[in-house]
Amino acid sequence: MNTNTNLPNENSRHIAPERIAQLLTRAAQQLDDNTVTALRHARNVALQRQSLSEPVFALSTGHSIRWLLPHSTHQWMAAIILFVAILFGGVSYWQHTHENDLSHLDTAILTDDLPLEVFVD
Amino acid sequence: MRNLAIIAFLLLGLTSTPAGAATTSWRSLTPAQQEALAPLSQQWDSLPEQQQHRMLKTAKRYPNLTPEQKSRFRDRLEAWSKLTPEQRDAAREKYRAFSKVPAEKREQVKRMVRQNQEAKVQQSASGVPAAPPPLQP
Repeated sequence: MNTNTNLPNENSRHIAPERIAQLLTRAAQQLDDNTVTALRHARNVALQRQSLSEPVFALSTGHSIRWLLPHSTHQWMAAIILFVAILFGGVSYWQHTHENDLSHLDTAILTDDLPLEVFVD
Repeated sequence: MRNLAIIAFLLLGLTSTPAGAATTSWRSLTPAQQEALAPLSQQWDSLPEQQQHRMLKTAKRYPNLTPEQKSRFRDRLEAWSKLTPEQRDAAREKYRAFSKVPAEKREQVKRMVRQNQEAKVQQSASGVPAAPPPLQP
């Protein structure tokens, strides 16, 4: 008795995927033309909507940009600290170069064979 | 928000360090720095920090100068330090512009300046105004 009641479940569990596909194909062949046309139309509309909202190229680019952007507060903090460090490095480098240029120029003026008065108003 | 404020504070602190530092006393300078900046020993402690900083940078080059250049450096240092920052900037600009003049023209100007100086020396020695040096073509 128990075996009989469990039979449909057991059957559905053990049906091979190929068998399901065959059953579905046979069932689809039995549908009337109107239903098939309506289903095909619905499928096409669904495919069109999907391709409009998520084109392949935009999907891949958008993903890579989103991947680059920080996601959490910690990541934002790290990004800001990195930005500050790069900015500070750039400013320091510029300052160092500028000061080197000035000291080189000052030494040249102070040691040139032309007197200081020539360059000073 | 608090973290952002800390970062902004750190950034300001780091970038403004050279200008915001305290002045350096004459006694704290190394013997090499004191030798290069000897003409400024009296007024050194009263010089603005930025000027001290620049002078120290310039003094670093002093050991590599020839004896003649060292003598000029010491002779001009006091007059240079008494100029206003604007006058020093203008002098740097003039020097930069003069460096771009062709070597031949530069030599010509140098000759004229030397003749002018010699005439002035003669004038002060004899008390009679000397004739201006002839202009070179």
